[in-house]
Amino acid sequence: MSIFIQQIINGLSIGSIYALMAVGYSLVYSILNFSNFAHGGVIMLGAYFGLYAVTLVGGLPFLGALAVAALLAGLVAVALEKIAYRPLRKRNAPSLYFIISAMGASIFLENLVIVTIGPTFRTYPQMFSAAPIALGNVTISRIDVLMFAIAAISLAVLMFIIEKTKVGLAIRACSFNTKASNLMGVNVNRVIFIIFLLGGMLAGVAGMLFGMRYTVYPQIGVITNKSFIAAVFGGLGSLPGAVVGSLLLGIIETFGAGYIASTYRDLIAFSLLIIILVIRPSGLMGRVTEDKA
Amino acid sequence: MLKVRNLNVSYGGIHAIRGIDIDVERGEIVTIIGSNGAGKSSLLNAVSGMVRYQGEMEYEGQQLPSQPHNIVKAGICQVPEGRLIFANLTVLENLKMGAYLRNDAKEIERDLERVYSLFPRLAERKKQIAGTLSGGEQQMLAMGRGLMSSPELILLDEPSLGLAPMLITTIFEIISEIKAMGKTILLVEQNAFKALAVADRAYVLEQGIITASGPASELLRDSRIREAYLGRK
Repeated sequence: MSIFIQQIINGLSIGSIYALMAVGYSLVYSILNFSNFAHGGVIMLGAYFGLYAVTLVGGLPFLGALAVAALLAGLVAVALEKIAYRPLRKRNAPSLYFIISAMGASIFLENLVIVTIGPTFRTYPQMFSAAPIALGNVTISRIDVLMFAIAAISLAVLMFIIEKTKVGLAIRACSFNTKASNLMGVNVNRVIFIIFLLGGMLAGVAGMLFGMRYTVYPQIGVITNKSFIAAVFGGLGSLPGAVVGSLLLGIIETFGAGYIASTYRDLIAFSLLIIILVIRPSGLMGRVTEDKA
Repeated sequence: MLKVRNLNVSYGGIHAIRGIDIDVERGEIVTIIGSNGAGKSSLLNAVSGMVRYQGEMEYEGQQLPSQPHNIVKAGICQVPEGRLIFANLTVLENLKMGAYLRNDAKEIERDLERVYSLFPRLAERKKQIAGTLSGGEQQMLAMGRGLMSSPELILLDEPSLGLAPMLITTIFEIISEIKAMGKTILLVEQNAFKALAVADRAYVLEQGIITASGPASELLRDSRIREAYLGRK
């Protein structure tokens, strides 16, 4: 029983990091209808930004470094949108062009880091006690609790913005129809700027947490493959779907790794993707169009 | 109020509007009638800044802004063909989107009450997801949403499209009421008879060219127009 609870906690912890990344995919997809595969590059940079904030700048405390990582990653995402996507949007290019541009940007960022910083693995200095928290038979690592708590807070802030603010209303309106939003006076370019900023900031948070938990290296962005699967699982374009899909994927993976073998982890994740695409392509909470007109 | 001179709109190789002149004066309903593909929607989309055009457009003596959101800010709002309501949002959220550029909370609240009194159905359904509304209700929501921007000039694109005859009558009654509120309306319609009956002046648009214009009551009597657009002699 204690192993079972342990696995759930591990699953939620990794799943919450997937969720931080997956909402970035979903935000962009919901408005621009393409999968932003450069997202992994932003997450990778977030891990490096956090690392340098902790080690270089006189050693910022954890939360300060997290803020720096979020902000810089947000700016990178916004710059990517301006350089890699906006010119395509102006020309009404098909989605495929956006995806190719995103893949190019992803490869560019990865190689930029290899050339400038180097391909070696780096680790964060230890910022929290490695001693696990014991609750009866269950032991939880502090970093897992921290990851989950920070992811939950970040996602709650995002949900608040989307559901309760005027900008959020505009984002939801644009996700249904950018033309109509434009006719209502919404500056669509500004909304797109905001979703890249929000998605990029969450990517920065995710990158730093992930880097702290494991290691930092130029290919760390590959982890977004998992969060992409989670976003598809939950229903691309749906934020609650991205969160639920991520948590479920995290739990399913850890159970697979715990009860079968850890080498099965990725096999399980990708099998899940194929099964969903065959049975329910729109995902758990995918968009159902209700346009009657 | 709105002055359009030598307007040209092309998409790819199609020359949708070929050098037309149109005037709309404050407080009147001007209708553009014509068959499918005559260029009616292209005209409204050019005014709204949604398509590129050549030619001059003046609004209140000033050059019309080029960005769609600046045009809304200037006081021109389009209620688009096919309604384009936000089916994923509630009725109230749709109306709030209409007031997106406004910050005068009290005035917004007052306009919301006005829209509800104009369309009581919307008040009953304000918490409902807009995608579940009937076609007629969606048209009302699209018009209410447009009014929430507190426009001076409203561009109505085919408001009667796809509606039952009884509803069409209601929609045209509401158009008259909106005029009575002091708004100016540029109405594009395929239902020429209803449009001419409610309008002050009219233009007939055929393949991107204006072929007739004048007081709506005169066009309503014109035998050529009666034959082509009203289906009677």
